[in-house]
Amino acid sequence: MTSGWRHKAFSYGVVVPFAIVLAFPFLWMAVTSFKPEAQVYDPTKVWTFHPTLASYGFLFHHTGYLRWLRNSSFVGLMVVLITLAVALPAGYALARLSGRVGRSLGVAIFLTYLVPPTLLFLPLSRVISRLHLEDRLWALILVYPSFTIPFAVWLLMGFFKTIPQELEDAALIDGCSRLGSLVRIVFPISIPGILTVVIFTFSLVVNEFVYAITFISSSTNRTLTVGVPTDLIRGDLFNWPGIMAAILIPSIPLALVYNAFLNRFIAGFTGGAFR
Amino acid sequence: MPDTSDERGKEEPRLDRRELLKKAAVGAAAVGVSGGAAPFSFAGPHKYKGRWLKGDLSIIQWVHFVPAYDDWFDNTWVKTWGQTNDVQVKVEHINNTLLDTRAAAEVAAQSGHDLFMAIHPMASLEDQVINHAPVVQEIEAKVGKYGPLGRASTYNPKTKKYFAVSDSYVPDPVIWRHDLWNGIGEAPYTWDHVAKAAPKLKQLGHPIGIGQSQELDSNMALIAFLMCFGGFIQNADNHPTINSKHTVEAVKFMVDLYKNGEDSVIFGWKPASNNNYLYSGTASMILNAISATRTPESLGLPFSKDLWIWPIPSGPHGRLGLEHVMGCYSIWKFAQNKQNAQQFLADLCINYKQATLASQLYNFPSFPGAFSFDQIRKAAAADTHPPKGKYTILTTIAEKYTHNIGYPGTTNAAIDEIFSKYLIPQMFAQVSQGKLSAAESVRDTMSAAKNIYAKWRARGKI
Repeated sequence: MTSGWRHKAFSYGVVVPFAIVLAFPFLWMAVTSFKPEAQVYDPTKVWTFHPTLASYGFLFHHTGYLRWLRNSSFVGLMVVLITLAVALPAGYALARLSGRVGRSLGVAIFLTYLVPPTLLFLPLSRVISRLHLEDRLWALILVYPSFTIPFAVWLLMGFFKTIPQELEDAALIDGCSRLGSLVRIVFPISIPGILTVVIFTFSLVVNEFVYAITFISSSTNRTLTVGVPTDLIRGDLFNWPGIMAAILIPSIPLALVYNAFLNRFIAGFTGGAFR
Repeated sequence: MPDTSDERGKEEPRLDRRELLKKAAVGAAAVGVSGGAAPFSFAGPHKYKGRWLKGDLSIIQWVHFVPAYDDWFDNTWVKTWGQTNDVQVKVEHINNTLLDTRAAAEVAAQSGHDLFMAIHPMASLEDQVINHAPVVQEIEAKVGKYGPLGRASTYNPKTKKYFAVSDSYVPDPVIWRHDLWNGIGEAPYTWDHVAKAAPKLKQLGHPIGIGQSQELDSNMALIAFLMCFGGFIQNADNHPTINSKHTVEAVKFMVDLYKNGEDSVIFGWKPASNNNYLYSGTASMILNAISATRTPESLGLPFSKDLWIWPIPSGPHGRLGLEHVMGCYSIWKFAQNKQNAQQFLADLCINYKQATLASQLYNFPSFPGAFSFDQIRKAAAADTHPPKGKYTILTTIAEKYTHNIGYPGTTNAAIDEIFSKYLIPQMFAQVSQGKLSAAESVRDTMSAAKNIYAKWRARGKI
């Protein structure tokens, strides 16, 4: 009993301060989003709080916020689909079929993920221009897989390796084709890995800034990462309540999704670590 | 089939002379009205009455530091100009820090906006832009000579090419909290006064806010500060001269100022950081354009009436300041609508009075004839924000203490590269952070500058 109490006290002693530290930015974000703009800047009113929905009203009625959200979601979903379509077979092939060459190739593919967008945006500008995709969301849908696919392939490769080869062998003996075993046996077991790829790819895309600011210029085609700093920072005047509201809104569903799939997410990420 | 209609029973109405005239008048009116409205009714490519130019026009420029300017530009000026010239104008705004990146991307793609606005002269992209001499000539024909600041910033005497046209520049005063300085019996008249007051102000929790970071405001403030001490990046013949005892003295002075009167936050600043430092009530003095006073006024911050505007403090070499922002429009060689871009630019500069007023006296015209200093002074005197008349000093600053980057030489490709690579803030920061001595840092900067000058000289640009 005493030992259990101690264990609990220790757990909460560690978790509670940690949770407070992590939750504080969200609390600050929420509180600021409900403050009038002048109050945020006024040093004499740091601890004064007169809640208002003005910044939310501004966001929805005077900016293209909903459009930015829609653009980000559209680009995110398309890139997730492309990434899965390429990374699933590639990851499987590298994990199962290529032996030592596959491992080296996997590492090489992952290394391309490390090339920063700040170097790549110049040559890619020319590609986008040649394809006449300037200022179109398809430019981003074309470019983003260049960094999501290497990461996803590397992650899935590690995950597929944790799946016992015997399961597939059994399916093949039972008359299943290689593709059939992949679809019926491997993919269903790989759901945590696939979910991890989906969540991570979506997060990477939604957070991306350099390509989005380079290839998209009109306000109507902006994604969230570009729309918020461009339209809510007017020169030296940061519309803090608006910025906080703009960030808070998408954070809530993302946080819920992360929480809902937390266990699978962890399993997916650590899947390849034990092999 | 029998005719059951009663047509024959009806009498044809008689068309007498009066009826004929009436119908003719109605018909003529209908044709006239529909004819007049035709360009609107049948929009097609002819959107407005009187089509003088063909095609569209795309413009990219910064998000102005005075939001009212963008409202005027997008909703009044551009719309009116578009209607007058029957051109579909599309304006896009991005943050000032991203303009260089965007320019690089457009050049790499050889595709982009027709009119590209930068906030510093992009001399290093001279080969990518048209010669803007015809635009300058058209403006000069209407409003008189190009101001010396604009010319020195956008004209390459070596290649005899205008690589941009400056519509405006922004004076760069010192903005200081009169209440705080008055409390210690000081005022930032000279840099010695600043050095004397800084430790006391810092002790009171109100440090000086001059950045030493890789960003625009640090660049402007530190280059101007250098000039007040007799340190110049180049001479009048565009030869690098940064390695001088004056520069070393200036660096030492600034390092002392940082140690005694500033905070380490200055090493991580962005262009808006010193403004926000002031708005938070912390900073006692910054070097910035008047957006730093306009914002507190619009937000009704308690100390806005205590924000005073003065010219840059005087140093051993005098009072030499820089523009804070140099509005420079360029037309790419690969632009799709060069003619429209040229006309738009010329019309904007010719009518710059409206722009200066819309910017709340932030933008000063680079063609002074468009809105004379006397007129600007009168407009500034009419500003009612307390202390009343504080903005009138701007014209003095603009006339007497505002120079181009690279003064006493011209703004050239080497200066552009030194400016874009933030070599000057780096030179100061290396010493302030104790990584190098003042002499070493200045020597390193000179070495880098020499290489840059050699490169551009080899390319025939200096």
